[in-house]
Amino acid sequence: MKLTLKVWRQQNSQDKGRFESYQVSDVSTDMSFLELFDVLNERLINEGKDPIAFDHDCREGICGACSMYINGRAHGPWHETTTCQLHMRAYNDGDTIVVEPWRAAAFPVIKDLAVDRSAFDRIIQAGGYISVNTGNAVDANAIPIDKVDADAAFAAAACIGCGACVAACKNSSAMLFTSAKISQLALLPQGRPEHKQRAEDMVAQMDKEGFGSCTNTGACEAECPKGISITNIARLNREFITAGFTSK
Amino acid sequence: MKWSQFFNTSIGKKLLVGATGLFLCSFVIVHLAGNFSLLKEDGGEAFNTYAAFMGHNGLIQFIAWGLKIVILIHAVIAIQLTIRNRAARPVKYAVRPGNKTSSWYSRQMAVMGSVLFIFIVIHLSQFWWAMHYGDIGKVSYGAVTEVGNLYEVVWFAFKESWIVALYVLGMVALSFHLIHGFKSACQTFGLNHPKYNGLISFIGVWFFGILIPLGFAVIPVVIYIKQI
Ligand code: HEM
Ligand code: SF4
Ligand code: FES
Repeated sequence: MKLTLKVWRQQNSQDKGRFESYQVSDVSTDMSFLELFDVLNERLINEGKDPIAFDHDCREGICGACSMYINGRAHGPWHETTTCQLHMRAYNDGDTIVVEPWRAAAFPVIKDLAVDRSAFDRIIQAGGYISVNTGNAVDANAIPIDKVDADAAFAAAACIGCGACVAACKNSSAMLFTSAKISQLALLPQGRPEHKQRAEDMVAQMDKEGFGSCTNTGACEAECPKGISITNIARLNREFITAGFTSK
Repeated sequence: MKWSQFFNTSIGKKLLVGATGLFLCSFVIVHLAGNFSLLKEDGGEAFNTYAAFMGHNGLIQFIAWGLKIVILIHAVIAIQLTIRNRAARPVKYAVRPGNKTSSWYSRQMAVMGSVLFIFIVIHLSQFWWAMHYGDIGKVSYGAVTEVGNLYEVVWFAFKESWIVALYVLGMVALSFHLIHGFKSACQTFGLNHPKYNGLISFIGVWFFGILIPLGFAVIPVVIYIKQI
């Protein structure tokens, strides 16, 4: 396949940035989207040009690093798929593909397609943990947990912090991410004692980072590579409302 | 967290928009029920008696003023959130997903809300202002004497095709605003449960989103047709 790539190039956070076009030929349908960038970067390096900066690590859909906004879609067109798991068979010969970084005030561009997602780390640092030592693993079933709740907590814990929810949301809202991080603890007995303080602190941090608010359009859920559901956002709202009305 | 902090968070503000929005939803039901008496060709007896009662009952007057304040609170906070949301993405994407990841009306709440706001201002200046501060004709029906003939004012206004079109447009905006708004407000309050989601969607789309705006829109259209 022969493809035209229009890639966002930006030297640093101060630079205004611009699109640059690249023709890539001999693209195999078996390549992953990141491998396409590897091939292009190798060529740019050989030509003595600056390679395109992009984040990646595991390349198997579990680390959440590979942020790319591809033809208007976070991580490209495939459902529940990260960029590293997107393969070139999703495209046809002659296609033009526009690749942009995540766009959010809270995720400043570091270079080209790489953005700074440390705002997510600070939301977790604000309360996404249990502050006492929970000790060694206890006997199975020593603490009874409803299977339904255990499964929901596990599903929420599947969030890889990739930021696609923020990238896909028209308000750059981090509600889906924050709700997943709150739900994985709120649903389990170990997370209950601190649930009010956690909800208040994490929401306050989320706002402070400059993410927008949720207008319930559902774009986050549609683009999340881990299938995190917006039922978690409803849970976050319940947690925050109960905290707001009853915390001392 | 203090109340002042709570209502300054994004979720706290959303709660205020949702609560005022649901209050307005309950209002539109009552408003529509009363309006249907406009279609009676009884020289305005039913409608004018109703309007006079609404205009003189102390409790209803209190609610009516509260309603205008609620609309303002709803609009001001919603616009405040919209401005913050725009600021959260200073550089826009070159390519956007269109309707692939969300419905267009869920993204246009501020636009539909603003159309509604303009509609409400026109609507109030046309009828509410005329009733309370304008110089409109008086009629008497048996025990009910010397009440404002708002019925005549309304029928007169809906002779004009562009006014009818304006009202229909206002109701299209209401329709899309509520198709998303009712469900969205429920989600903001945390009401999301597999046993009730179907019902919430149904009420939001069919009752508030379609039936109510359609009911409102039918009235000016029928009055117009009857007068040609
Ligand atoms: C006065 C003009 C109005 C404006 C400017 C306006 C604006 C808005 C905006 C921008 C939102 C989205 C807020 C968000 O999702 O964060 C919204 C939500 C909503 N509006 Fe309005 N609106 C207006 C009138 C109305 C009326 C007349 C009703 C009811 C009959 C209504 C009911 C709702 C509901 C139920 C929501 C959903 C709240 C939520 O998502 O939590 N609005 N409005
Ligand atoms: S909720 Fe989904 S889209 Fe958002 S950060 Fe977690 S895995 Fe990524
Ligand atoms: S590189 Fe780890 S999820 Fe894509």
